[in-house]
This record gives sequence, structure tokens and C-alpha cells, in this order.
Amino acid sequence: MNDFSVHGARVPTKPSIMTQTDKAGTKTAAKKTPAKKAPAVKAKAVSTVIAAPEPKKAATSAAKKKSGLAFPFTAIVGQEEMKLSLILNIIDPRIGGVLVMGHRGTGKSTTVRALAEVLPFIDRVKDDTYNRTLEQYLEGEEGKKGRAALDPASLQMEKIPVPVVDLPLGATEDRVCGTIDIEQALTSGVKAFEPGLLAQANRGFLYIDEVNLLDDHLVDVLLDVAASGKNVVEREGISIRHPARFVLVGSGNPEEGELRPQLLDRFGLHARIITILDVSKRVDIVKRRREFDDDPDAFMKKYSREQQKLQKKIQQAKDLLPEVTMDDSVLTDIARLCMNLGIDGHRGELTITRTAHAHAAFLGEKEVTMKHVKEIAGLCLRHRLRKDPLETLDAGEKIDREIAKVLGEAEAV
Amino acid sequence: MIAFTDIVGMDLAKKALMLLAVDSSLGGVVIPSAVGSGKSTIARAFAHILPEGTPFVELPLNVTEDRLIGGVDLEATLATGVRVVQHGVLSKANGGVLYVDSISLLDSSAVSHIMDAISRGEVLVEREGLSEVHPAKFMLVGTYDPSDGEVRMGLLDRIGIIVPFTAQNDYRARKKIVNTVLGKRDAEDTQDELNMLTGFIQAAREQLPLVSITNEQVQALIQTAISLGVEGNRVDIFTVRAAIASAALAQRSDVEDEDMKLAIKLVLIPRATRMPEREAEAEEMPPQEEPPPEEPEAEDENSQADTPDSEAEEEQKDTPDMIEELMMDAIEMELPDNILNISLASKKKATTGSRGEALNNKRGRFVRSQPGEMRSGKVALIPTLISAAPWQETRRRDKKLAGRPKTALIITKDDVKIKRFRDKSGTLFIFMVDASGSMALNRMRQAKGAVASLLQNAYVHRDQVALISFRGKQAQVLLPPSQSVDRAKRELDVLPTGGGTPLASALYLGWETAKQARTKGVTQVMFVLITDGRGNIGLQATFEPDAEKASKELLEKEIESLSLSIQADGVAAIVIDTQMNYLSRGEAPKLAQKLGGRYFYLPNAKAEQIVEAVSSF
Repeated sequence: MNDFSVHGARVPTKPSIMTQTDKAGTKTAAKKTPAKKAPAVKAKAVSTVIAAPEPKKAATSAAKKKSGLAFPFTAIVGQEEMKLSLILNIIDPRIGGVLVMGHRGTGKSTTVRALAEVLPFIDRVKDDTYNRTLEQYLEGEEGKKGRAALDPASLQMEKIPVPVVDLPLGATEDRVCGTIDIEQALTSGVKAFEPGLLAQANRGFLYIDEVNLLDDHLVDVLLDVAASGKNVVEREGISIRHPARFVLVGSGNPEEGELRPQLLDRFGLHARIITILDVSKRVDIVKRRREFDDDPDAFMKKYSREQQKLQKKIQQAKDLLPEVTMDDSVLTDIARLCMNLGIDGHRGELTITRTAHAHAAFLGEKEVTMKHVKEIAGLCLRHRLRKDPLETLDAGEKIDREIAKVLGEAEAV
Repeated sequence: MIAFTDIVGMDLAKKALMLLAVDSSLGGVVIPSAVGSGKSTIARAFAHILPEGTPFVELPLNVTEDRLIGGVDLEATLATGVRVVQHGVLSKANGGVLYVDSISLLDSSAVSHIMDAISRGEVLVEREGLSEVHPAKFMLVGTYDPSDGEVRMGLLDRIGIIVPFTAQNDYRARKKIVNTVLGKRDAEDTQDELNMLTGFIQAAREQLPLVSITNEQVQALIQTAISLGVEGNRVDIFTVRAAIASAALAQRSDVEDEDMKLAIKLVLIPRATRMPEREAEAEEMPPQEEPPPEEPEAEDENSQADTPDSEAEEEQKDTPDMIEELMMDAIEMELPDNILNISLASKKKATTGSRGEALNNKRGRFVRSQPGEMRSGKVALIPTLISAAPWQETRRRDKKLAGRPKTALIITKDDVKIKRFRDKSGTLFIFMVDASGSMALNRMRQAKGAVASLLQNAYVHRDQVALISFRGKQAQVLLPPSQSVDRAKRELDVLPTGGGTPLASALYLGWETAKQARTKGVTQVMFVLITDGRGNIGLQATFEPDAEKASKELLEKEIESLSLSIQADGVAAIVIDTQMNYLSRGEAPKLAQKLGGRYFYLPNAKAEQIVEAVSSF
């Protein structure tokens, strides 16, 4: 399938037909904005040409926005539900992301931002802005008309940490989706595509803090891209499509506003987070935070072994995942559970199945049992139950009760 | 200039700002105070006690998103031909103070951006082709008048100190304020005092790293937070920091009780969701919530094991008394008996103010532009031009566009940006439910059902729902305007019923709620009264608990004049009488008439019927 294609302009035989002046122009532009991250895909404009998307130097997105150290993931006290959800999504990105909702000041964004440090590495074609694998790259590039066949041997690969891209509430649509590089247009009249946050997030995580406050038109864009796995940009007569598959992570406080139902449905898991009431845990939180603030480097060092251990464990689980199996009887129970809870569609079953596999892999086990299902069913189903303000029973309790029923029945049969 | 030292009264606010000056990681100070109490003066004077050269940036309420976050500087970009970046207000405040007057009136999207900047310590600019990170570590100082509405909780959560609200009504102190304003003080004295204060603060900053706090003290502060029902764990860190800063100000190296009391008063009490009673709570509070001390240790091998079990147990035996004492002292110090009256009185003031009017004009303020069809909204001219500017050279050479008439600028469909206004908001439904008398439970259930059902669709229509119950002496807002099903569920969980019927108080409170909502962009308000229309408690009883029972004439007069004003204010109303009542004297239809609204008689109504009635209107 053609993942990357360019329309609306004749395609050149070679990617670099920029004139001398063009290059000079680019240089000045680049000098004036040192903070610019991903150099644009070059393309000569006017009535002719668009270059093949051959980004020169794509910054590794994980490293790009680091200012100061993030609090280490393994030093975060409590909030196991959120931590587990995030880890399971690393093990199997197809789970579909996590929505973390809960009380203010409980470390939601700290935890998500700490994630970057324990992520495994992925292979991508060297400097590819879209973080594509060799296969994806060839598929995308070769599909183009008039393009000479690519020699896979000529392509270099590199390892990068799974990217985590932060989408701030104030982002404009052009930065999210990518747009024509204004700089180049201004200085040299060249049309070049400048990939946006969705490109950077491909094969990685896209994090939105206060996701329930996200502007409507950005929600539209996200829903579109999340459904198709592709981002399409049309502007100034060129049309660009590129892969954009990411794990969506959102966090917020439900009291600040409701999430649009379609977006809610997109999230695989829903972790709930509440204020820790255990005094000694809270003392621990205060201590660690102060220690970190006093000397971040020393604190990081103290936790580096833990961090590496977790990173390794996640990688092992990822490797084990293809070997994990599940008996049909478990699937039947899952289906019955979803039916009893009156959950529409089949996304519930699918999510539980995937998440249970990832959970088993994380525990180093090769067979999914109802024990695994039980531990993750709340995460998978909580946001899929119908909301009723008069319902006094917590969604989690309701799910637990139904699981008990299903298990009871299963045992009886 | 009015110096920090010249300001009379507001001692707690001054103390709070000094703590912030000592430890900027406290995040900020929010000062609620009535109009004219000098809250903005004090905030501005704060700048002078900070080290020289500390930025002090004032945030205008009508700030646009690109001014707040930063973006492309059009003028410079056009002049130079190279994109020039303009830093936003948030990054300009880096390393200094961001001051917001009337912070409760700040647009909700601006509040979100500020929250985001605080939690990151920087601003991510992902706009108009820019992708930059600007540092934005600032102290936020906000002042506001509570009668304008409250500050969003999410924002408060990221600010360390909230000064408890007190109305400043000491006449003598006021006179002194006036004298200061008129410059009757000796300028030299002022300067000396200011120098001294700056010296104090400098010394305290140096002392700060030397202050230590014991485990027991940290535990006591956390216990207090828990028993006050404060949400979140971030607040613990603020409380501890505030106590340490207070000790540093006193040039001590140990935290003492008074530091802890101050921290409780400035950090925890303003966030309390419940006030423990001296005896009742003390019994049940600490032991049950205490986990066995060895548990966390077993869980985290790497946490320093510096609290051996035996020691921890001992601490926990000691703490409850200490906490209780501290907390009660702090509370009693701060809360006057008539706290309720103060907030009501300040609300009353707002009804005569001219502020509400001016703010209404801000409705539908232009926030940002976005690509769109020319006809689908108002065209944002400047963003459209920004978008078109870089393409001029290219387009002039473009043969496809050659046939077009020669214009200075070639603008195509792609350039068009339309204006996006402040979040469109639908209708605010204010339910006022008569919770008095024996049938109250029934009415409450109906109202809850209706609220629930309206909220289910709230997202689609952008509607909000508030619920006011009235019983006993006065009405009470049970659910402030909200779109959140979760919140409604929580707040409506316990609904007390029985007692008198303060109908006038309900109308008054509903009107106030409506006015506050309007300053936040709500355009339409509808009262939904579920009552038989027979009020028997007058407004006077609300303000003066000892007042004599109002006469029937007075009651009717109150309702009538309130209704007239509410009607004149453009609030729609419906009155729903759900009671099977053969003896009804037709009070409810009369009330509907006074409010210029409609009357529904729905005996034993189901929630759906109420929703239907509301929607039909």
C-alpha cells in the first residue's frame, strides 16, 4: 500500500534539483531560526516540481525537547493503575493508548513525561522524519511515479528511542499536521513540506495534557488521523500523505470538562487516578520530590538501575508477546463479560484481549488466563460503560461484580 | 509609588508574598479580596521587594493566544523577509512575576495555557509553522474579587499559596490607606523600611537551604491535608515548602509550630473541602486511614529506610494530638463566625456595581484564527494576510494565476483564516429546587434526574447546568454551573431536605449565579424552578439569622421586585409544580407570571417530562 504519495505536481527524477540560490536561501533561513526542528522536505515550487520527501537531518524527536531532567518513572510513588496502562501500551501499541483521568495534583503529567526514559528503541531509516521502518520507507517511496527504484542496501538504518511527542493545547493545526515551509517560500519561493507533530509521533506516543480542553477542530484532526493511521495535508497545490500511527495518551481532570464521546472511544484504556490517602506514601512523595529538586543528577543516578531494569523488562515482554496464547474459553468469557455489561460494539473485547496478552507478557507468562483479564478489565471497560449520574456504584465495582459472575458461571459449567 | 511597607492591613497577603519572595518554587500567591482593599496595589508593590531586575509582567485580561504563547511577528517578518519570532507574555515573565488582576475573569483557554506553562516550566510554541520551546518559569500572583466568580481549581492547584478571604472593613485602617495614597508619609521612611525588608528577604533566601523539617512535622502536615479533604498530593509539597520558607524568614534552622500553622493557613485551609469538628473527627480520623507502617517499605526497596518500624509507630501515636491542635488553632485564627455572611455581603455589593455590564460586552471575544471557508465565519484579516504574504513571489510567477487581475496581493482560498471566538456556550440551566417540606425528597429526585439527563447531552449543545436547593434559612448552590457528569454525580450525592422555604433567597442566588456565568461567556440563562411557589422565609433571614419572621406582605414584595429585576435582566424562567395538591392556592402560576415565564403542572413528573418541558421552552 502506498503510504506516502505526492500529488498535484510533476515528480522530478532526482530529489535534489535545487538551484544554487535556493540553497543559499535555505541556509540563511536556517540560521535565523536556530530552534527549528525538522528541516523541511525540499520541493521546488511554481508550476513544476515537488521533491521526494528526503529530509536531510531529522532531529531525533525524543531528544529535541528536553530542557532539564524529567522525574524518573520508577521513583513515582503509587498510581499503579496509570503506570501499568502506560507500560502495557509500550508492550503492545495496538492497545490504543491510555486516557488518564483523575484528581488534580496526583502526578498525571509527571508520570507520562517520565515515560520517555524507560522506552525501548526502534529501528528507522536514518534521519527519516516519519520514523519509518525499512519496509514502510520502501513502500512509501517506491510507489511514487517516475521515481527510480530504491536500493535497500543504500539506505542506512538507525536506532532511536520510541518518540514521545507533546501536543500543547495552544498548538495550531498547521503545526500538528505539517504545512508548507513558510521560510523557504519566503526566501526562495520554494514549496517544501514541513512535517508536523503527527509525523514526529509516528510509531511513538502522542501526549495531550488536559485533553478534555482540546480545541474542537484539533479533536477532529486527531480522530481522523487516529482512524486512518495516515495524515493528509493539502495546501498550495500539493498533497502529502504520510503514515501517522501513534499511541494516544491523554490526561485531564474530569471536573474541568467532559471528553467528546468519539475521542473517549478512541482510547484503549482508561486509568483512573485519585489522591493517595496513605500518609507514609505521601511523606515518601514529598521526600523524593525535594530530593530531586535539590540535586536532579544525583537523584537520577540513584534510580538509574531501577530504570534500566524496567526498560529491560519491557523489552523482554515485547519479545515474548508473539508467543503468548489464549484459550478460546477465555475469549468466550471476555465476550460474555462485555455482553453482560451492555457494551456496544466489539472494541471492548478486542481491547481486553490485546491488553491481557500484553499483561501476561509483562509478567513473563505465556498463557492468558482469566486472572490476567480480571486485572485489566476495569482499565479496558471503564469508559465504555454508559454514564449515569444517579448510579451510585463505581464503574470499577460494577465491572468486578460482572467478572465474578462470569467466573462463577464458568466454574459452574 | 506605594511601597510594600506602606500598605495597611492585608497582613496575611503580605506574609504570603514574602514567603513567595523567599522561595519562588511555591509557585505563586492568589489573593481574593473585595474591591478597593488594595489587592492590586499590594501585588504591584511586591515587585519592589524582589531583587533588582526581576521581570514583572502584567497580564491583560483580553490577551490573545498568540500574545500569551508567542508567535510570528508580522511586522518584522514582512520587513526582513525572514520569519521573526515574538515571545509571548508567559516567556517574558520567565524568572520573575506574572501578575493577573481579576484572575477569576480570565478566559478559560488562557487559564489552560498558564496551567500548562506552570507545569512544564516552559512554553511549547507549536504555531504557524513555528516549533520552539521558550523557558517560562515564573511566580504567578493573582488577585480577584470573589463576587466575580471563582478561579478555576486546576489553576489554583498549581499555585502554592491562597490567601484566605477576608473583607477589609476596618474603618481606621482604611483611613490610613487613604493617607498613604495621598502621599502623607515620609518618603525617606518608606525607603528605609523597604531596604530593611529587602534585606530580610535576602537573608531568608540564604537561610532557606539550612532549614530542616522533621519527619513527624511532614507527617502532621499531610495528616492535616487529608483530614481537611484536600485533593491531590502536590499540595503536600507546597505545604512543606511554605513551612520551611516561614522558618527561613524568621532566621531559624528548624521548623516550628508557628511555621506549620502558617503553612496550614495559607496552603491547606483555602483548599479544604470539609472542616473537621474538634471531637467528632478526631476520633475517626487518624487510625483508620493509617496503613501498617511496614507496607510501603516492603514495596519500595530503594526508598531510604530511615524510618524504622518502631520509630514510625511511635510517631503515629504522637501525631494526632499535635495535628488536631495545629489545625484547630489555624482554623480558629482564620475563620470568623460570620464567614458565610461575608461572602454573601460581598456578593450583594456586586449587584450595584457597574462591572458586570462592561464585561458582558466581551462575550464572544476573538481568540484565535483557523483555516476555513470564507463564508463559514468572519474573516480574520491579519492572519489571512500573514498566510498570503510569503506566497506572493511564487504566485506572481505561477502561470495558472496569470489571468487574474493585477492586485497588490494575490490571495487564494488557502490563505483564508476565519475568526474563532471564545468557546461558544449554550444555555445555562439553573435548577432551583424547593427542598423544604415533606415532598422535598420527591422533587429532589426529579430534579436530579432532569439534571442528569440534560448533562448527558450537554456536550452537544454546550449547555451547562447548575443546581440550587432552598430550605431552612437560605438557598445554597449545590452544583455550580458545570458540564461535568462526574461532578454533578458527586455533588448531588447528599441532598439535605426539610425546613422552611426561602424562595426569595433562591431567586437571589440564582440571579447571582447567572450574572457570574455571563462574565464567563454564557449568553442564555434559564431558571427552572421546581416548587409550589410558596415561600415563607424572607431575604432578611438570610443575612441576619436573628431577624424576625417577615410578614406576608414583605415576602411577596421581595419576590415581586426580585422577579422583575430578573426578568428585566433577560433571564428566562419556567416554574414546575410537581405536587399533587388539591389545596393549591395557585402560588406557582403567579410566580411564573411574575418572572414572565411559563408554568407547568406536572404531578408526579418523571425526570424526562421535566427535560421535555425545559427543552420545549
